Amino acid sequence: MKSRAIAIGIFWAALLAVLAWRAPGFFEFANLRDIAVTNAPALIVAMGMTVVIIAGQIDVSVGSQFAVASVLAGTLAKAGVPLPLTALLTAFAGMLFGCLNGALVTALGVPSIVATLAAMAFWRELLRWYTQGAWVQGLPAGFQWMGLGQAQGEFAILTATVLLFAALVRAMRNLQAGRAVYAIGSQRESARLAGIPVNGISFGVFMLLGALTGLAALLDSVRFSEVQSSAGAGLELKAISAVVIGGTSITGGKGNLWGTLLGASVLAVIAPALTFLGINAFWEKAIQGGIILGAIVLERVTSQRRSK
Amino acid sequence: MRLVENRAGSERALIGLILLEIAIFAVTGPNFFSAANAFEVVRLGVELGLLALALTPVIVTGGIDLSVGSMMGLCAVVFGYLWRDLHFPIAVAAACTLLAGLAGGALNAIVITRFGGAPLIVTLGTYSLFRGIAEGLTRGVDNFSQFPASFLYLGQGYLGGILPAQAPVFLLFGAFYWLLLHRSIYGRAIRAIGFAAEGARWAGIPVNRRLALVYTLSGFTAAVASLIYVAHLGQARSDAGTGYELLAITAVVLGGTEIMGGRGSIWGTLLGLSAIVVLQNGLRVSAFPAELAGILTSAILVATIAIGKLQWRAAPVSEGIEEDEMKNSQLAVLSAVILAGSLIVAGSNWWLVQSVRPGSMPTGAAPATATKRYTLAVMPKAKGDPYFVSCRAGAEEAAKQLGADLIWDGPTDLDPAKQNEVVEAWITRGVEAISVAVVNAPGLSTVLRKARAKGIKVLTWDADAEPDARDYFVNQATPEGIGETLADEANRIMGGEGDFAIITGALTAANQNEWIKFIKARIVAKYPRLNLITIRPSDDDRNRAFSEAQTLMKVYPKMKLIMAISAPAVPGAAEAVKQSGRKDVKVTGLSLPNMCKPYVKAGIAESVVLWNTGNLGYLVVQASEMAAEGTLKPGVTSIEAGRLGRIGIDGSQVVLGKPLVFTRANIDQYDF
Repeated sequence: MKSRAIAIGIFWAALLAVLAWRAPGFFEFANLRDIAVTNAPALIVAMGMTVVIIAGQIDVSVGSQFAVASVLAGTLAKAGVPLPLTALLTAFAGMLFGCLNGALVTALGVPSIVATLAAMAFWRELLRWYTQGAWVQGLPAGFQWMGLGQAQGEFAILTATVLLFAALVRAMRNLQAGRAVYAIGSQRESARLAGIPVNGISFGVFMLLGALTGLAALLDSVRFSEVQSSAGAGLELKAISAVVIGGTSITGGKGNLWGTLLGASVLAVIAPALTFLGINAFWEKAIQGGIILGAIVLERVTSQRRSK
Repeated sequence: MRLVENRAGSERALIGLILLEIAIFAVTGPNFFSAANAFEVVRLGVELGLLALALTPVIVTGGIDLSVGSMMGLCAVVFGYLWRDLHFPIAVAAACTLLAGLAGGALNAIVITRFGGAPLIVTLGTYSLFRGIAEGLTRGVDNFSQFPASFLYLGQGYLGGILPAQAPVFLLFGAFYWLLLHRSIYGRAIRAIGFAAEGARWAGIPVNRRLALVYTLSGFTAAVASLIYVAHLGQARSDAGTGYELLAITAVVLGGTEIMGGRGSIWGTLLGLSAIVVLQNGLRVSAFPAELAGILTSAILVATIAIGKLQWRAAPVSEGIEEDEMKNSQLAVLSAVILAGSLIVAGSNWWLVQSVRPGSMPTGAAPATATKRYTLAVMPKAKGDPYFVSCRAGAEEAAKQLGADLIWDGPTDLDPAKQNEVVEAWITRGVEAISVAVVNAPGLSTVLRKARAKGIKVLTWDADAEPDARDYFVNQATPEGIGETLADEANRIMGGEGDFAIITGALTAANQNEWIKFIKARIVAKYPRLNLITIRPSDDDRNRAFSEAQTLMKVYPKMKLIMAISAPAVPGAAEAVKQSGRKDVKVTGLSLPNMCKPYVKAGIAESVVLWNTGNLGYLVVQASEMAAEGTLKPGVTSIEAGRLGRIGIDGSQVVLGKPLVFTRANIDQYDF
């Protein structure tokens, strides 16, 4: 699966080269910073998704979890809950959503795609029903940028993302639990026979993804002074795309977070790159789909050449 | 052997579930239990059902096809393009569309079998690709309508006066897929692949060719579904079939097909499909909130699968007496789920009664008037859209004053097909007046004419249908008026010259595209020194609008104004300008004053244009009450609309007035 990441890396380098040639303004610090801050929450979700997919599971409910957590964060802040506690409660709520998915998958044996498909519709519609589409407005002044001011707030979001990424990379590589995730993803039954608590780990990856999604929702919400109730629409596809573009095997057992970082970067760059290059927005989805298909084809071609 | 028994058990449980749904809705939904409604349910289920049929063998092989919904969008556009622009005869265009479906399915098949891509990833790629090509071909804007009546008959006609014309097509496909999966050597191969592809290969099954067959068939069937969808709605657009893939997968899995492959049946899929479609229709006819459909479907899905899995584990090796118990417990739990659901419904009704008074539920607090109590149904374009939420407050106020029962329901997101389904349900239910904010005029007009033929007064609001399909149009402001006001504002803010960009909603949104047309026309005619540099989509997402505005400011440093014409896009763009610290870029657009207040006050958003949405909702309900009681009829030149006073009638249009321009000076006077 490494070859998919290589194929994508080649594509990405080509895109950046074209940008450097046609629109050097793209590489200005302010632009790169804005793209990074905007996409940091999606990257955090994709990180959790990577772990879930490596474990041989999938979670398509993250977009809905993200929306509920966003509205919750706004509602708590509006009710006067101090921000650190709001952050904690939001991450905790996300963790609970993750636990629900985990329980459906491990205790009841519902396949993860079915369980999370149901959770996706359930949370989204419940939220629509509850908010009736209304936004959370009139938030306290200290909500935006966590009261830090714009520059520090942006810095804090990026720092948090980098720290989470580093911690997760290390955990997946060096911790017993991280190795166990790869083990159950590559062969569940063997992992069980080797003494790994398969159900516990499976439950854990959903819990982790939920907590990361809650945290991402908070980091995303604090960039604004109002919370929109339709947040996170399509986030699940974005996160899954980032993971698989990054070379992680959808059937589990193989992949890493660096690939996801690459995948998320490619997806983050496409929309602004099109504007910079003056290409019409109508082709955006087609280009995204083309990249995924192209990566699969290229992967096959490169891996065949190597085996010869 | 146990395998077969178990499946039969879960199918019986599904039948029980469907019967239970029918029993509940027969009580809560007027006219739900009638032959006409049964045929309507069939019609609504056909497109989804075709996709579910196609997905059954795909899932049985252990694969998945996420691209079927997007395939419908692509096929609709290809069909419309061939027929209208290349002047193909309709039958040839349809045949070519089917070929396009085959080709799309074959693309999936090739990448999956030749290049070894996992089906989930490959079809995730074509999910974006097909929809993207459809949007690219039409530039998001173009749509095709005015198809000949002989073609529309396929989606709207009745065989022998009662049977929906698309039903035989569906039966044909159902029979075909049943034969394929259960009575042919291919079906055995498909199941063998689902259990273990490698084992199947060693057993001499041509795995790749069989896989190619099911994916190609899936593309073909999606093309057929697309043609029926186009005939049903009378319009071909690139957004056809959005989100259908997930609902189709839900139907298949609910029907007992194992998502990991190996097990599954067409019969089960049909049952799963029926359970979903009956639930959707029943909720609508009962005037329960549309959000419940998703909530209940997901609860039932998880309950069914979980019960199946638990039994699988708990079931003893020997069977016999236990088997009966299994069925019973299954039924019992499913009943409990549904009952819990209906309890939620009942509770929510009680909760909503204070403001809405849904349907003909008798409420103790009904005002003691001698006049007839009318049921007035009002539909927004999308229920969750903040703009329509703000209209609702006025509608409820008017209903309360008039002592009328208001049903406020509609799609939870923009989906032209859903509006038809809701109107059908209201016709079945029997209401005095229907008022619709129309998403898709050619498609909805057929259904509205049907409602008029049944003696229901039909009004349109926010956006009109074809004039002969409705009695009155409550006109808040014409697209022309909006376009001109926005162009005038742009000219005022920019001081007569300079560059500006537009951030729209979805690229396919008909309303916005109409406004853009008039904005452009006005600029060409009156303000030649204004220059529209680009149009970017926001998909009605505040955050997306924010990023787009950020990028625009960097790419076009001389840009003086961002015009955002979707309600969430104005605060998104304004926040981007605020964070950039730029004082030379201003924002204007169409949005709700409450959403934009901080930005208007800070001077970032120079102005926001909109009509009084509360008054619009109020006027719609007032006018539909008058139409229902017969005081609003041809020849009337003005009406007395409650607190709005005298409102003029222009032909068949009830005119609300000009759009409001909210600025720093007046925005505090408005609260919506």
